[in-house]
Amino acid sequence: MSPKVRIEKFLDNASRSRLMVYACVLGLIGLALMTWSLFDQGWIPVMAAMSVGQGIGTLSFALFLVIVIIDLRKAEFRPSLPPREPQKPEND
Amino acid sequence: MHVSPLSWIALTCAVVAAVIMIYYLIYRPPLNGRVKALMMLAVGVLPIMTAMIGNLEGLAATEHQAFCGSCHTMDMHIADANDPDSLSLAAIHSRTIKFGDKSCYVCHKDYGMFGYAMTKLGGMGHVYMFLSEYAWYDMEEALPKIHIARPFKNDNCMQCHSTTGRIWNGVADHNGLLEDLRTGTTSCASAGCHGYAHPFSKPDEETPSDAEAHTALPAPSPEGT
Repeated sequence: MSPKVRIEKFLDNASRSRLMVYACVLGLIGLALMTWSLFDQGWIPVMAAMSVGQGIGTLSFALFLVIVIIDLRKAEFRPSLPPREPQKPEND
Repeated sequence: MHVSPLSWIALTCAVVAAVIMIYYLIYRPPLNGRVKALMMLAVGVLPIMTAMIGNLEGLAATEHQAFCGSCHTMDMHIADANDPDSLSLAAIHSRTIKFGDKSCYVCHKDYGMFGYAMTKLGGMGHVYMFLSEYAWYDMEEALPKIHIARPFKNDNCMQCHSTTGRIWNGVADHNGLLEDLRTGTTSCASAGCHGYAHPFSKPDEETPSDAEAHTALPAPSPEGT
């Protein structure tokens, strides 16, 4: 199975609520690491915040974007205005 | 512990984001447009603001002695720099307001166009060396092995001591070695000149007070240096 097909299959079958749970858990871990460095400015918290913390936070946001992509794939796009009726030729 | 107003803003963003995420984890509301907009705030906008402020504060923190001293191998360097009785170059400079709490950074940073980035890159090298080797040494083992990665540039000294002042040029050694000092062939912070910046870490300790030649130097003056 090619990667493209695999990704499409994942997007078709993935549970949005489960992805959101993962995003929230990762987001909370990332936020904890990022806020730790605001109060303890030793090398471990600062480097953890600027590497691992932001990496986990980015992953959390990426999961949210996956949810948005899933929704966009399933959305039915309708034109906002009905198509105009063709104008009747005026009688001379 | 000093917490800046920016840090409080970052903390507020983080707390609001955390409350929204915990709310979602507990109640699991259906993901309709409204909930998604809220979650966009919680996992996107607010954490990004926290991260951006965290970057600003984190980078600012790396300029302080407390950050450099958070590795145990730097304990003696920091203690000497803050010793009011020490006559090492590090201590003399740390006592001035221009250096103060940021003396490690002000002396050791690169001053070129990409100085900030290069300094941070060099700092990453220090972290690597610390984690791969020095973290496992106690001070007695580490001290003889710690050495500066590249020779200290006179350019850094010349940010303040321009080498053009009348008093500075009045010193015979300065005058005779002017080109060597400007090109960095002779180091200002070496035995025989002003001594090592951290003399306790060198086998042959020499500070300005130890070197007889320096007793003839005029008192330091902000003008004419």
